[in-house]
Amino acid sequence: MSAEKGFKRHGSHSYVAQFDESEREVLLNLIEQLIELLSERVDHGHEDPLAAMVGITSHDSLPEDEVLRRLLPNAYSDEVQSSEFRRYTESTLRGKKQAHAMSLRMHIKSSDDGIVDLDHENANAWLGALNDIRLALGVRLKVDQNSPEHLELLSPDDPMRGVYAVYRWLGWLQESLLDALMDE
Amino acid sequence: MVKTATNIEEEIAAIFSGNTPWVTIVWDDPVNLMTYVTYVLMELFGFSREKAHELMMKVHTEGKAVVSTGTREEMEHDVAMLHEYGLWATLQRGDEGL
Repeated sequence: MSAEKGFKRHGSHSYVAQFDESEREVLLNLIEQLIELLSERVDHGHEDPLAAMVGITSHDSLPEDEVLRRLLPNAYSDEVQSSEFRRYTESTLRGKKQAHAMSLRMHIKSSDDGIVDLDHENANAWLGALNDIRLALGVRLKVDQNSPEHLELLSPDDPMRGVYAVYRWLGWLQESLLDALMDE
Repeated sequence: MVKTATNIEEEIAAIFSGNTPWVTIVWDDPVNLMTYVTYVLMELFGFSREKAHELMMKVHTEGKAVVSTGTREEMEHDVAMLHEYGLWATLQRGDEGL
């Protein structure tokens, strides 16, 4: 994947990047997976409809999926307090993360010649979505256990090598958007 | 941790005294970029770049840092915002030992 572009600041409130076809495909593929993952625990069959309307769910335990556990972490070190907090907040958190992801998807899908032009608010949504994808890939790559040196030296037939390349590219893209935002 | 009678008494005392602050802690994470953590702290808390950078460095070098202090409700709000942006954060009573 090309590494010479990334986001640039245009004027005072505009952050622009151009993506080629393969980059758009990679981003769309990942963002679709993230949106799907975030909607997994929505289970209307077992919800109290009135409670669901105000965002209270019956889910109060840490998700079983390792990636979801990182995306929707406990708010307290204490399990009882965490469960109580989760019942009242998890569906809102999922919704916000999905909104970030959908913003990214919408901009990629509607881009002309692959050009994406973000305002400050959309840039923040993109940062959140790119970060969630990196967190998800980071769990799969076990970045907490594997050093960057180890991941750099994965053999060409290791499927994780491609995942690591995408993870690095997303980090680079996120950094370029941060540089553009913090450039005063 | 199971709530004991002592805990409950302490909590009731805290409600009436109203002066035991809660804290929001950000924990180190191998995925989040240093620039990103700095930016999120600036955006969510209105910190200057210097202040946000200092807190980020504390997280990075010491494994964690207290980023805000206030009532339990305020800290729950702060933790929810930090989770929205993928930072690893928890809240606790300020006197629980850091």
